[in-house]
Amino acid sequence: MERRRASCIFGKMIRNKYILIAFRLVVGGVFIWAGVSKIIDPLEFAQNIANYRVFPAGISFFVALVLPWIEVICGVFLILGIFRYASALLLSGFLAVFLVLITATIIRGIDIDCGCFGSLSTKVDYKLILEDSILLFFSLNIYFSHKSVRVKSK
Amino acid sequence: MALKNFLLQIAFILFLGLIIGLGINFSLVQKYFLGDFRFGFISLDEYSSIMFITLGEAEELFLERDALFIDSRSKEAFQEGHILGAVNIPFEEYKKEKALDLIFLPPEGTVVIYCDGSECNSSVELAKVFHKKGLLDIRIFFGGWIEWKGEGLPVSLEK
Repeated sequence: MERRRASCIFGKMIRNKYILIAFRLVVGGVFIWAGVSKIIDPLEFAQNIANYRVFPAGISFFVALVLPWIEVICGVFLILGIFRYASALLLSGFLAVFLVLITATIIRGIDIDCGCFGSLSTKVDYKLILEDSILLFFSLNIYFSHKSVRVKSK
Repeated sequence: MALKNFLLQIAFILFLGLIIGLGINFSLVQKYFLGDFRFGFISLDEYSSIMFITLGEAEELFLERDALFIDSRSKEAFQEGHILGAVNIPFEEYKKEKALDLIFLPPEGTVVIYCDGSECNSSVELAKVFHKKGLLDIRIFFGGWIEWKGEGLPVSLEK
């Protein structure tokens, strides 16, 4: 019931397939860029994760080795249309976690780089929350477009 | 059935990322299991002059008066208390002011850099800068101020 309601809310906005393609290109492109910029220097990314002061060093290290590749794979799949809904859901999950981390970091008053785009990263601030929220909106739209089609066909 | 397929797709993507990520960075994974990257994420091959030291080693260097202790925290934190005899190079402030280029230290001497403890990153960043400047013996005391103070070792509280 909840899913159905959620899909209806998103369904009003996402029926236009050209807008959905644009969303896929934007979200996929951003995550490919973000992933590649972190793949170039995994140790720098590991340090960026550690700077959030949430995860122990070991977890930061292994997340830094694997996460950028998942981002790139999801980005490519999203653009090519392979497993697009699974990719959109995974990226939505990542963005939700990023949003929580960024918000917590601002509240705790820690002044660090976000680590989002490797060496081109910006500081953790409210602008970043806005950017991530927009991307989350796009990726959730892509995910719920699948659900709404299913609900409609029932 | 659709849900099962969906979950399989998610598992496939995660598995693919895991295999590629760990496979391509296999040399880093090997180093990790050999004891590297437990304190900071710098390759000790690349930064050969940098070494991480424990509280005991830092205390030994302090008692032998064999090393220059550098506090990389902010001026305010330094003024509230620091290791006795340490000098303050506030990394973040100097980085903003581009003042790090103006620091000169003799390459042969031993320096011990510390900050707040394991949650602090500025000691590692400052050590990298010193490595590039040609210093040959850089030690990072990762336990930092918190561990030193906690052990009741000599401190200065002068403002």
